[in-house]
Formats: sequence, C-alpha cells, structure tokens
Amino acid sequence: MTTVIFRTVTRLGVPIILLVSVALFLQGHNHPGGGFIAGVLTASGFALIYIAYGLDFLEETVLGREGDVIVDTITHGVVADYRQLFALGLLIAAGTGVVAMALSYPFLSHGFTRIHVFLFEEVELASAVAFDLGVYAVVVGSLLTILSVVGQE
Amino acid sequence: MQPNPAAVLTVVALPFLAASVTPLVYRFLENRTSYFAAAVALVTFVLVASMKGKTGEVVFAWIPSMDVALRFYVDGLAILIGFLASGIGVLIFVYSDGYMKNEPGQKKYYTTLLVFMGSMLGVAFAADLIALFVFWELTSISSFILIGHYTEERASRYAARKAMFITVGGGLFMLIGFIILASVTGTYDLVTMLHHPETVRQSLRSAGMLVPVIGLLAVGAAAKSAQVPLHIWLPNAMEAPTPVSTFLHSATMVKAGVYLVGRFRPILLTDEWMLVFAALGLVTMTVTAILAVTATDIKELLAYSTASHLGLIIAGFAFQNAYGAETGAFHILNHGLFKAALFLVAGILAHEAGTRSIDELGGLWRDLPITAAVTVVAGLGMGGIPPFNGFYSKELLFEAAYETAVHLGGAAWLYPAVAVFGSVFTLLYSLRFVMLFFGDKPDGLDHVHRPPMSMVAPPVLLGILAAVVGAAPQLAIDTIGQSVYESVAQGHAHQFTVGLPTEIKPSVLMSTTVIVVGLVTYPFYNQIHDGLNALAELVPPIRVDWWYDRAVFGVNRLSAELADTVQNGLLRTYASWTFIGVTAMTLTGYLATSVTLPSTLPVTLKTPIILVLLVAIVAAVAITVAPSHVAGVLTLSILGFMVAIFYILASAPDLALTQLVVETLSLVIFLLVLDRLPAFYGSIDRFRAIRDGILAVAVGVTVTTTVLLTTKARPSHGIARYFIETSLPLGGGGNIVNVILVDFRGFDTMGEISVIAMAGVSVLTLIALRERGETS
Repeated sequence: MTTVIFRTVTRLGVPIILLVSVALFLQGHNHPGGGFIAGVLTASGFALIYIAYGLDFLEETVLGREGDVIVDTITHGVVADYRQLFALGLLIAAGTGVVAMALSYPFLSHGFTRIHVFLFEEVELASAVAFDLGVYAVVVGSLLTILSVVGQE
Repeated sequence: MQPNPAAVLTVVALPFLAASVTPLVYRFLENRTSYFAAAVALVTFVLVASMKGKTGEVVFAWIPSMDVALRFYVDGLAILIGFLASGIGVLIFVYSDGYMKNEPGQKKYYTTLLVFMGSMLGVAFAADLIALFVFWELTSISSFILIGHYTEERASRYAARKAMFITVGGGLFMLIGFIILASVTGTYDLVTMLHHPETVRQSLRSAGMLVPVIGLLAVGAAAKSAQVPLHIWLPNAMEAPTPVSTFLHSATMVKAGVYLVGRFRPILLTDEWMLVFAALGLVTMTVTAILAVTATDIKELLAYSTASHLGLIIAGFAFQNAYGAETGAFHILNHGLFKAALFLVAGILAHEAGTRSIDELGGLWRDLPITAAVTVVAGLGMGGIPPFNGFYSKELLFEAAYETAVHLGGAAWLYPAVAVFGSVFTLLYSLRFVMLFFGDKPDGLDHVHRPPMSMVAPPVLLGILAAVVGAAPQLAIDTIGQSVYESVAQGHAHQFTVGLPTEIKPSVLMSTTVIVVGLVTYPFYNQIHDGLNALAELVPPIRVDWWYDRAVFGVNRLSAELADTVQNGLLRTYASWTFIGVTAMTLTGYLATSVTLPSTLPVTLKTPIILVLLVAIVAAVAITVAPSHVAGVLTLSILGFMVAIFYILASAPDLALTQLVVETLSLVIFLLVLDRLPAFYGSIDRFRAIRDGILAVAVGVTVTTTVLLTTKARPSHGIARYFIETSLPLGGGGNIVNVILVDFRGFDTMGEISVIAMAGVSVLTLIALRERGETS
C-alpha cells in the first residue's frame, strides 16, 4: 500500500480533499453539501494519510510530538485531540440551541440574514451554519478517533 | 406574591455553573476549594431566603408547540428543601475543609457535590414532571459518583453500584407513573395539577389509574428514601466520606422521596393513598429502627435511623387528617437538623478517635466536650424526648395515628400500635448513640485529638438550631413550618400549634409509654442487639440484602455463562442472529396486520435508472462469487457507487453526495483492515452457504416489502409540500435536505451526533480497556 505512486498521489490529493470538504461545508445551506458530508470527506482525507504514511507520521512529522505506546496515544497524542474535537463539536451544537434560548426563542431556533459584501453581491449568513460546524466537528472527531484507534491494531 | 424569575433560575443554575469551573478553581485554590464551594452555597442560600414567603410559578418556554417548558414552582415545601440543600451545603463545604484535607480526588469531590446541590435544588423547585425526573436522576448519578469516591476500595464500588441500581430503578418506576399521570390529565405541569386536584383524582379514577400511579410513585419515593424493602442501599452508602453521607444520605437526597410524597399529597390524597403510604412508612419506621439496634458501626446506625425517620415522615403524609400533614412538614425540618448534626459528629469520631465501631467507643465527653453537648441535644431529639425538637413531630405523628384509628376503627388500631413499637426502638438506639460519649472509656481507645474548628463549627451550629427549635417550637412553625404545612395540606390549612403537652391526651400517653418502655429496656440493649443479630444469622432470608446479593450475583453468573454461548466471537453469528431477529419480527408484524402489497410502483422508472440498477444487481451477484477479499470489497464499492448514481438520476444530489463520501470512506476503512485478513477465502461449507443464502433472501424480501409498504401511504398533507414551500423563506437555505437536518429537525440531528460521539467514546474505552488487559 505504501508505494511511491500512492504517496505522491496522497500528497497532491489530500490538500485538495480538505479544501473541497471545507467548501462543501460552507455551501451546504444552499447547495449540496453540509456538515455531515464535509466531515466524512475530511475523515477520508485523513484516512488516506494514514494508509499512505502510517499512523505515526501525522503525530511525529506533522505535529512534532513524541509517544508511541497505544494507551499513551489514547490519553495524550493526537487521539486525545480528536476526542476533544468531538466533545467541542457537541458543545458548539448544543450551544447554538442555548444561545437561541438566551434570546428568548425556543431551543434550537435559527435565523438568517443577507448582507452585502464588497465583491460578492449578496451573502447569506445563517446561524444554522454554527450548528453545522458542531456536526462537522463531531463527525470528524469521532470518525478520526475510530480510524486511528482501530487502525493501530 | 410572585417570586423573582431570575432568582429562581439562578438558584438552580448557579451550582451547575460553579461545578463547571471548579476544576479550574481547584488549580489555583487546591485545598481551599471548599471555601469557593461554600461561598456558592451561601449565595444560593441567601437567594432561597429572599424567596421566602412568595408563592408562584416561573416559566421558561422551551418547545412552545408541544407545551414543553422549564417550569419552577416556589412554595413553602420547595423553600424548606431549598434551605436544607443550600444551608446544609454551606456547612458541609466548611466541614469538608477539615475532613477532606489532603485526601485524594478533591477536584472530583467538590465538582460533584456542587452538581448534586444544583440537582437537589432543581428537584425542589421543578414544577414540570419531566424536569423533576431529570433533576431526580441527576441526584442519583452524583450520588453514585460520590459514594464511589474511594475508587480503589471494592466496598465503595459495590455500594455505589447498589445505590445506583436501586435509586435509578425506582426512578424509572416513578417516570412511568409520571407519564401515566400526564397522559390521563393531559399535561406535565405540576402547578395545573396542584390547582385542580379534584379533577385530577376524578380523571385518574375513571381511567382506573389511581392505584397504579400511587403505587409507581411510592416505588420511586421508596427507592430514593430507602424505605423497606428498598432500604438496603443506604447502609452501604456509608462507604462515602462522611460529609457526603451527611449531605446526601441524611439531609437532602433521601429527602427527595419524601418531598415527592409531600408534593403529590394535595393532589392524590385518598383512601388508597393512605393505605399504601401508611403501611410503607410505619413498616419502614419499625423495621429500620430494629435494624439500627443491630448496627455495629456508628454510621450504619445513623443510616438505618435515617430510613426510620423518613418512614415517620411518609407515614405522617399518609394520614388523611391535619396532624399528618403537620407531622411531615415539621419533621422534615427537625430530622434535617438533628441528623445532619449527628452525622457530622460521627465524622468527628471517625476522624479523631480513628474508629467507627460502636463497641470501641465510649466515655468521650472529657476529650470532646462540645461534640458531646451537640450529641446530647441532637440524639435526644432523635429519640423523641421532650423538650428536644424531635419530640414535637413525634407527638404529632402519634396524634395523627390515633385520630385515624379512632376514625376508622378495627384494624386501623395497628397504626398507633406500630408507631409506638417503632418509637421504642428509636429511643433505644438514640440512647445508645448518646451513650457513646458517657460511661467508661474502652481500653483500645487511644488519645482522642481535638477536631479543627472547621469541623466543630457546623455541628455546633446545627445543634444550636435544633435546641432553639426544641425550646421554642412555635417559633419554627411560624417561620417555616406553617408554609410547608400549607403546601402539603389538602384543602384549607389552619394555623397549627405545637408545644409541650398541657393536658393528658392519648398521644401524650403514647409518648410516655414509649419513654418509659425505652428507659426500662435500655439496660438490656446489648442482649437485644446480640439476640437480633443471632436471629439474622439463623434465618438469612430475613435480611433483604440476602435477596439482593443473590439476585445480582446470580444474574452475573448467568450472564457469564450465557455470554460464552451467545457471544462466541464470530461476527457471522452476531450478524445472523440480528438479521434473523429483525426479519422474523418484521414479517410477523406484516402478517399479523394483514397488510396488502401495492400492485403498482409509486414511481415510473426511466431507462437510465433501470440500467444503473441492473449494473448494481450484477455487482451484487459478483460479490458472492468474488474469489478474494480485495475483489469482494471493490465490487461492493461498485454497488455503492451505482446507488449513488441512482440518487443523482432521481434528483437527489445531496443524498448522492453523502452516499459517495460514505462509500469512499468505507472502502478506505476496509482496505485498512484487509491487511490483517488472509488474502483469499477458503472453500465454504455447502450447508452453511445454503443457510446464509436463505437468510440473505429473507432479509431482501423484508426490506423490499417494507419499502413498498411505506411508499404506499398517501397522506393528505404531505410534509414534502410544507418543506418545499418554507425552506427558503423560513430557513434561508436552498438545499432543503440540509435545512431539514440543521433547522427543521435540528433536534434529531443533535441526537444523531450524540450517538456518533458515543460510538467514538465506546471505541476508545474498549480499545483502552483491551490494552490495559481488563477484557477477557
């Protein structure tokens, strides 16, 4: 699996995958896309890195940390970051609901507005995107947790 | 007068907020975190005090279309529990400073205690049945964490599990009772029910649900307040640190059950109510008092005593006369005062004398004079001796029981008889506890240290309060008792009075009998103690513990044996059984309801779609004949991609995109895993192949039938129409599917992401456990 071809393709492809997933996330409200799709795509990108370069690569080379004992990695390393990511996602998602309550609307009400920005004609800002961000974070965090932990087997 | 909404919300929310920042505070304050927590409790106490005298409802809307709102109701009973929760909370936090100094796990301890305090305040003030249940369960959970504080101790873990099992189980019964009540009355709002009690009773009777609801609520209250036969968790809960025992298991959490009874009393007080709760309360009062006499550990004695006094309160609430309500109302306060004081004293004894065994303690009044004084005041109050505070509420119970007996006659004379019998034992163990400080000092006892001020001040304060109530009970009634009585009374509530008896009434005779019999039998305490213990040895099934342990460990053994059979480690077995189960149930359901399959398909298929689906079918067949894993996985992906193309052709781009990415990810994960599997399949056993084939066909038939049946329905107002029309104007999005996910059905999505997060946590836990070698 770790041939030169595969590695080069991964090197070229992963940034594009990540960029596309962010784009899908942002356009989700009006075009096909959205938090879940973007999240799964990001996870696929990371999965590619894992297959091509192995699990330690991300941790040691990209992020510059030490540590290779499995239990260690679960509590420290990048897996801990994934865990915090999905916890953060849940917090954001619930937070959007609570913010609506603080403004005396029922839980999880959303609103939107259209503003005029310099180059673009009309940009729509929707509060549902914040909720979607929470969904995105949860999906990415959980999938990557499962991927990296099971992949270490 | 209406209570201030902000005050009510702060009272309930502040402890939770404080709990969320406690880990941060702990980093700075370390051992001094107790003062932070005490300050929070003090603020809450002051806020509760500011609400005193006001009655009313405070509403925060949540889902208006379903009439779900966060409702709080303030009245005398709620305020009393609020006082107990926050006031004793302040004292506990101060006490913890001395008790928990240099103990491990303080961060978890203070955080959980604050969460508990918030939950208890929530229980007290909640006016919505669901909110009440949520806070109720939160107290159970925080209790579980606190009981199991010493995670290394096996006994602590056993006790925590037992407590959780029983209280949460009871809570589920209570929830069912709530749901029945809500479906019969049509609302979850407690305040509506309190304002129309007669209507509620009528509807329940006509639906035949009065007795079931009373029964279910009784189970919930009995579990939480450790009533017989669900009392067994309370003595074990004494594994917790003493401040926890004081706070949760004497003054507040166990009072939640009693609070429930009191809260529903105005609504559900009927003859059936009286039968159920009088029996429950009086039996508990007596049985646990007898058990307290058999106790060998001071905290065990106090634990049983708590259950006994809670039985007294419940019995009080059971009787249908005014005395009953007065008993309950007053005794909640009295018991809270003297029991908390005694538990704190027990903590001092454990801390300074180093032992909790009754036989090893004695003659401590020289070393701990102040503590001894507090014990005398609180202990004699517990026993019901005038002029201490417990006497008055016990008197009221005797009056209530006597009046009921006179009113009903016949077997109802059992009530006062049992009350007197139980009170004798109460007096016996109270005297025994007080005598810990007098008499001779046993040889084994070393020098007893003086406790620090932070540990002495709280019990002294409680003792002083108890003494004040004992000396001037009418003062306590006018300040608090009257409003509590009004909350639990049915119908008109008169001003009630207490005081030392001035004339010979039957209740006075009963009290005198109790005191005389108690004093006379006290010298034989040790014989009684030994005799009862010998009896329990002889006939194990007498102890409810015996049943619990047998049941729990029996189930353990059974599941271990079953596990080997059911979970044999083969994925094919799990998959087969799941499919068989689902298929069988679904097909049986369809046959039972005699559904008819539609004769035509709801949509007409165009040629491209048919082609794509044909390719998919070919791919599916190819999977079954694929020679190796890699080929099989790739062919499976072809199938998945064909489905995605089908979605595109059917004008569902969002679905197609989802299908594509999930398919890609699954493929990637499969390839990751394939490393570990052999490259080629072996030859497959013919019998097994046929069996699996039949199962596969059955699953296919089930799914097809389901799809055909569900698309057959033609509702008159399709949701699709609504979404198409309102997605852009109301939701601001052109992608209807996405708007549904995050806006229209956002709550569903929240549930889904919680499940995904749980899956992540489960995988983490399982793998981490495996690495630590804890799984077999």
